[in-house]
Amino acid sequence: MTSRPRSSAASRHGERIALATVLAYMLVAVGVWIGAWGGEWAAISGEMREPPSTQHWLGTNRLGQDLFERLLASAATAFEVGLPVALASVLIGAMIGGVAGYFARRPIDNVLSWLIGTIDAVPFYLFAAAMSFAMQGFSGAMHLAMILSFWTLTARLVRTETIRLKQREFVFAARVSGLNARRILVRHILPNTAPLLLVQTSLVFVAAIKAEVVLSFLGIGLQDSISWGIMIAEAGQEILAGHYMNLVSASLALFVLVLSINQLADRLQDRLDPRSRPNTAGATRRLRHPARSGTIMTIRTS
Amino acid sequence: MKAGESLGRYALHRVLGIVPLLLGVTLVSFTLTVHFGPDPAWEQLGRNPTSAQIEQVRTELGQDKHFLLRYGDYLARIARLDFGPAFASGEPVGELLARTAPVTLSLLTPGFVLGVALALLLALAAAWHPRSRLDRFCDLASAGSMSLSLVIIVIGLQAVLGVWLDWFPVRGWRSDGPMMYLQHVTIPTLALIAANLGYNLRFFRAVFRDVLADAPVRTARAYGMPARHIATGYVLRAAAPPILTRVLVAIPLLLISGSLIIESHFGIPGMGRATWNAILSGDQPVLMAVVSLSSILFVLALAATDLLTALLDPRSRGA
Repeated sequence: MTSRPRSSAASRHGERIALATVLAYMLVAVGVWIGAWGGEWAAISGEMREPPSTQHWLGTNRLGQDLFERLLASAATAFEVGLPVALASVLIGAMIGGVAGYFARRPIDNVLSWLIGTIDAVPFYLFAAAMSFAMQGFSGAMHLAMILSFWTLTARLVRTETIRLKQREFVFAARVSGLNARRILVRHILPNTAPLLLVQTSLVFVAAIKAEVVLSFLGIGLQDSISWGIMIAEAGQEILAGHYMNLVSASLALFVLVLSINQLADRLQDRLDPRSRPNTAGATRRLRHPARSGTIMTIRTS
Repeated sequence: MKAGESLGRYALHRVLGIVPLLLGVTLVSFTLTVHFGPDPAWEQLGRNPTSAQIEQVRTELGQDKHFLLRYGDYLARIARLDFGPAFASGEPVGELLARTAPVTLSLLTPGFVLGVALALLLALAAAWHPRSRLDRFCDLASAGSMSLSLVIIVIGLQAVLGVWLDWFPVRGWRSDGPMMYLQHVTIPTLALIAANLGYNLRFFRAVFRDVLADAPVRTARAYGMPARHIATGYVLRAAAPPILTRVLVAIPLLLISGSLIIESHFGIPGMGRATWNAILSGDQPVLMAVVSLSSILFVLALAATDLLTALLDPRSRGA
């Protein structure tokens, strides 16, 4: 879908930068986990609202907490939210989509497709709010709400892909040699959806950290923790008084990470799916139900 | 001619098909807000109640009944649009929603409509001239917009246009007179346009590219038919089903996320703020009404788009 006007060398260059950026964020997160930095995010280490200085690179917030320290710790939080949610949602989506696709148009497919349709119909932020309402005091409520909502797009895509793959010779061969459905699905069909799953993992990761920002802003996100969402929520309270540091630093950190991951996902998608290149788009990618494509293109946030 | 069924049969089929979905979404909202939610019996009890008092209130609220009976009861209440009084204010939830809905609609409609229109125009122009400067600009704009959150855009615009340049009020809501309305609706409108532009632009452009690569369009362009004819006569019509689906389906979701974020931040007395207050205070009747109504609305919007698509494109009636 991304056009490729630039030469492939330039595109490869951009890809490398994006990859390096994501790795740098990971390095920051690992540093926080092993205690090298970012551990002092809650400590009051300076005066209230200090401007940036050599001691406090980004200044301090209204309590005198160091903003740079909070920014670093938030990078770790982003991975703590994004990775489990992305892995769990994609795993659930792959399994449910695979089963539904393998048994397409049988009762089990009807039930699973109904489940997908039902979950997609409940607006995500209300679902998350209702979850936090229903599980008051449970710190994983937000993660759980995301996992329970974000698997549906993967499931839809894997279902379609499985229906397609099931017609291929290697699956016929596997069936003729007497393998059962579970083995065919797990060993022969799902591995062929791996690239799709990789793209989905990165997109769910992005959806999760973006959703965290909104939920924290609304006050139903993470508790007793620090995240870019919490910093931005703090900024929402103090912007009228002219304090921009929280907003600028946290937004920029989020923006760069999301942009890089989106770019990587795009490149990956381009490489996997020749049909998505503009010069060959057209006849081959006519969808049988064009109307459906509108509902399934994005994960249900934004 | 008939790829699937006649329109009438298709419509009937499709309308019956939404029943399981409606049951599904009401079951989810019932389970989350009523069954697992905080116990409303405590709201009605005084301090240190005896166990007999607790039992009595529970019986009054019907909590001792079987799960399915309570679910049936809940369905009947949704059908009658009777959600009882809100805990916080005592105002009937139906009246609360009827009072706040117009505010939300007048707040979000301009941003939604303008956003879609702008995205359509840009996408068509970009798809018409692939690799042009505009096309590349669309790449950048959608990549940037997709990487930002509505929250960031709202606060950022408020900071720049409201605090720094001081062109617009920084918060609040007034709709007495067109000038007041315009002043208060501008920042939310710009924020919605900016936040939704990325995904819309990308999707619309992909659809247009697809349609433009179709043989009839290529032929028409090769024969030098006027661009305007091709665009309105063929391209827009062929691209309509996926675009309509996306736009209609986005409405309930946008109403929810847009109103929650914008109204809670600017202190605008619409449905979003009422919902937000209910979320924070655990106001079960309000939450139950909003969750179930919005999900039902979504299912209905989806069915409506399918019918509309069937009307536009007989091929989609199959299967």
